[in-house]
Order: sequence, then structure tokens, then C-alpha cells
Amino acid sequence: MKNGLLISLLSLSLIGCAFNSIFINYPSQIAPIKAQLNTNKPIKAADNILDNISGADGLLYAQEAGRVAQIAGDFTASQHYYQHAVSAYLKFDNKATLSVSDVGATTSSLFLNDNVIPYRGPGYERIMLHQYQALNYLFSGDQEGALVEVRRSNNLQSSEQARYQQSNKSVQAIANGTIDAEMDKLDQAAGSINSSFLNAYSYYITGVLHEVLGEPNDAFIDYRKAAQISPNNAYIQKDLVRLAKQLSMPQADEFEKRWGRPNLAKKGQGEIIILVERGFVDEKQSLTVPFRIHDNWQTASLATYSFNSPPVAKGKITGLGKTLTAAPIANIDALALTALKEELPAALVRQAARIYAKSEMAHKVSSDSKSRSNATELSAIAMQIFNVVTEQADRRSWLTLPKQAQIVRTYLDQGQYSLQLDASTPSKIEVKSGKTTLVWVIDTGNYTRFYTIII
Amino acid sequence: MKHAKLIFLLAATIGLTGCQSKVEYGDATEVETVNENFGSADLQAIATKMVDSMLTFPPVMVLTANDRPIIFVDKIKNKTSEHIDTESVTDSISNKLLRSGKFRFIDMTKVDAVRKQLDYQNNAGMVDPSTAISFGRQIGAKYMLYGNLSSIVKQDGSTKDVYYKMTMRLMDLETGLIEWSDEKEIRKVRSTSFLGL
Repeated sequence: MKNGLLISLLSLSLIGCAFNSIFINYPSQIAPIKAQLNTNKPIKAADNILDNISGADGLLYAQEAGRVAQIAGDFTASQHYYQHAVSAYLKFDNKATLSVSDVGATTSSLFLNDNVIPYRGPGYERIMLHQYQALNYLFSGDQEGALVEVRRSNNLQSSEQARYQQSNKSVQAIANGTIDAEMDKLDQAAGSINSSFLNAYSYYITGVLHEVLGEPNDAFIDYRKAAQISPNNAYIQKDLVRLAKQLSMPQADEFEKRWGRPNLAKKGQGEIIILVERGFVDEKQSLTVPFRIHDNWQTASLATYSFNSPPVAKGKITGLGKTLTAAPIANIDALALTALKEELPAALVRQAARIYAKSEMAHKVSSDSKSRSNATELSAIAMQIFNVVTEQADRRSWLTLPKQAQIVRTYLDQGQYSLQLDASTPSKIEVKSGKTTLVWVIDTGNYTRFYTIII
Repeated sequence: MKHAKLIFLLAATIGLTGCQSKVEYGDATEVETVNENFGSADLQAIATKMVDSMLTFPPVMVLTANDRPIIFVDKIKNKTSEHIDTESVTDSISNKLLRSGKFRFIDMTKVDAVRKQLDYQNNAGMVDPSTAISFGRQIGAKYMLYGNLSSIVKQDGSTKDVYYKMTMRLMDLETGLIEWSDEKEIRKVRSTSFLGL
């Protein structure tokens, strides 16, 4: 009787959560929206994201909603949603060290799964949020607002680093064969990336905004950081040489020796900067390991990434009088992988505690039922089903981010051009003498969108 | 037993009514510390400091002794990492300066509206030409008031330190000389509590 009550209480408490990621895995909620973004039709499926913005994972849904609006070209709506996500992050920042709601969420995660813990994105997501918000401000014509977001992004790049270093020290590695192997695979897949937040794309965008909005010195600092993370990108190298010369920096000669003479605009020419974002970032997969404790079935589910996603092709830009190849600047996939790798130790601690709690619950129910009649055998089976069903990997992450970012930058004679990425529909752009044309190309796979602003 | 239940119910009801949200009027000049962001108290502190400093600066007192110099206010550049309405800061400052009776102002934010109105008066054919205000009769400003608002934000664990610095200058447009300059610094520290919701 008591057990029956316990189970019905547990199921009742779960019904309330059935619509967010506790039961329905997160990637499958976002999949229809990504499919719609990949066509030229207006986006309709965003409603269920919007409903969730006020929920526990509001931060994540606000990020998705902002990005969906942004891809569709509604920069004002996007700005509004991103603002919501920014305030959610600030709420996390201002939380007490020992927060009752945090402790509550972690405790419920022991009986259900990690999805009940409110989502707080990894460092790179937060930095990209401000980077995209800066672009929102810029494309809606508020340059001062754009620079504010750029500064926030710069501040975060340093503070998130400090936060990571602290948390990394306090988490200890866990020895386990399967999990170690998974960590090794993650390590290899992430490649040369060694942190989840240092992102050359963000540095480059903040650099570009600083430069076009008249702060070349700040731009130089950002480009240098971008070049450190993405050392083989020829466009960044040229930018560095040019700015070092322009600002008479002490490194000017050294940069020129290394990367050649800077490209400078000729008379009647304007600059064009093309940001190419391709595909969607990988989804987290779940790795489920079943085993038996006290003769009861238990499972452990961990989030991981599949390691067979095809590489992204370099974009060919045509229609500018010459064919230009876009140079990759950041793999968001690799950032996501690294972020997961950093989160894994803490997730494993919770996993171990959860397995213990669930097996104790199951053991208690089954030994109770054995000592009485077979009638309560049902509750023992129900308990095991409950344990296996609720064991879901935490597969939440910002999924409408691009897979890879690439850049192209050059000088062109002023006039009209018909810009094309690979085989996309051409888009008309204008280049004005002495001005910068910023083209933001979002290629979701089957459909390419172009957004242009002249600064 | 029954009484105890009743008392408990009463206490619960009273306790709950205490949680109702309510609206109250507050003092507009009260120091506000809802969070560490730029707020009304900072705006007021900046405006008061700048106006007092300018009006009591001896060379400016000489300028305003027999004359009411004409000033235009350039927008204050927001160099902080917050979205701040700097126009509201300049509004407060120019308001106070104007109310002191020592300066006159030209509002550059309304130039377009004025041009439209004059265009209507002179060219629409609707206004009696003898009452229409003709173009080119406005008085030029002699001084420009401008400024920068910058900030340094540092965060470490539970402590967040925000430092604001507002710099303002008054430039003589004819000579290019800076006639007055001052700055106002504000520092705010927020520490998050150890225990909380």
C-alpha cells in the first residue's frame, strides 16, 4: 500500500514535467524547428519554444527563440528573446552560493535525471549570445548598443575563463573503463581546441564591430586573440598586418615579415566582410549502459556526441568578379564537445549518486514485496520500470547554432554585385567607396539567407 | 484541538496575505540599490556633481557674469557594458543648467522637426507669409557640452565590482579651447549572499 502510494506520487509529480526535456529528449523538440529553418517558408513551429521560455529551462528556450528569429531576419524579436536569456544568466550569477532551489534541483536529479536541473549553458553559448545580440543591435541600426554587447562579450571571455579554471580544480576525475574511453574519444574529436569558451569567431566579430565602428585599437586586440586560437586563417593575418601598420604598432614589421604586405583599399573601393555560418551544431546523443544491482535492472545514461559528422565544406563565394574561398574560423561542434568534456566529471558524480539512490529504492520495494504477498510484486516491477524510464541523458544544448563559421574579407570597386555562396540563389549587394559592407550569410543546409548592412 | 486547527488556518491566511504583491509610491531621489546596474541614484549624482562643478568654476562664473552663453549638448557617448539611456543623463544636466538661469540651450535633437515646421510655414502655402518665421534666423551656439561614460566591471566568485566614470567637457566652438572639464566617479560592489533561494 505504502509503495503504491509512493509510485503514484512519483508518477503524479512527473506528469507535470512531461512537456519539457525531462521525458521528451531535447533534440527531438527542436528538430521540427530546424527543419522549418531549412526552407524558405516562414517559421511556425516556434510556439512550443515560446511557451517554455517562462519555465525552468527558459534560458535555453530563449536562446533558441532568439536564434530562430535571427535566422529568419526578425532582429527586433530576436533582440527581445536574447535579452530574456541575458537576464536569466544574470540571475544565475547573482544566486546565493548555497541556493535552496539549486539544492532542490540537484536532489530531484538524484531520483529522476539531470534534465530537472535548470539549464545553464556552457561558456561558449553565453559568449555567442552576446555576439549575436551585438549583430542584432547592429542590423537594427543601433551602433552604440552593438558596442555595449561587444564589451559584454569581451568581459565574459575573461570571466568565464576564470570560472572554468575554478570549477575544473574542484572536480575530480572518475575512474571507469567505459567512461574513460568515451572521454578519450571526446578528446580526439575536439582536436586542438583546449577550452570551450575561447572562440575565434566571437573574437573576430567583436573585432570587426570595433573596427567598423571606429575603435581600431580594440579591434587589433580582438584580432590578435582570434589569430591565437585560429592561427591559419589568412584573412585574420591580413587584418592584423593592416591594423598593426595603421596603428604603428611595434609588431608591424614582424607581422609583415610573417604574413606579407597588407591589402589596402584603392581609390573608389569599399570593403566587404562576409560572415558565413553553415549547418547546425551537432546534437548530444545518449550513451546508455544497462546493469543489475541487487537483481534489479538499472541503467546509466550519459550524454555524448557521435563522432561521424561529415566535415563542413569551405564556402565558394562567386559574383564579386573573382571567386573567393571562405576560411573556417571556428567549429562550434568542437566547442560543444569540449564543453561536454568539461561538464562530464560533475555529471558522473551525480550519476553515481543517482544509481545508488535508485537501486536502494528498487531494493526496498522488492524486499518489502517479497516479505509480504505476491500482490505487491507489481509495485516492485513498476519501480524498476520507473528507474529505467526516468534514466535519461541530459541532451540539452543550444541547437540552432551553426556548425561552423567561416569568413571572407576583401576590397571591391564600388557598385552593385550579385553575391552567391556555392549554388545558392544570388543576392544583390552594394559596395560603397570608403564604406564597409557587412554580409551575414546563414546557410542551414538546403537554404541560404543573406543579410547586408553598409557601415 | 479544533481551536488549534482554527488558529493554524488563521495564521496561514494572515501569512499568505503578507505575500501579496503591492504597489507603493517612493521618493524619486531615494538611493536605489535594487542591483548593481546604472540606476536613478547614479544619474542624479552625476547630474548634480556636474552642474555644481560647472556653475562654481571661476572662469565659467566670469563667462556667465554679464551674459547667458548659448550651449549645445552633444550626446554623451556610452562606453560602458550596459545599455544606458545617456540622453536622459544629458537631459537632467541641461535642465539643471537652464534652470540656473546662466545658460541658454540649443536642442540638436529637434533640428529636423524645426526644419520641417519652417519648411511648412514658408513653402506649404498655408501660412500667412507675414507671420512665417524665415530660415536662417536662429542663433548659433558658442559652446559645446559633451562627455563620455565609461565603466570597468570586475567579477570574482560572489563579488562584482562596477566602477563608473563620467567625464564632461565644455568647449568653446570658436577657439576650440576646453573651458571646463570634470569627472564623477561611482563605485558599486555587489556580493551575493551565501544562503538564499
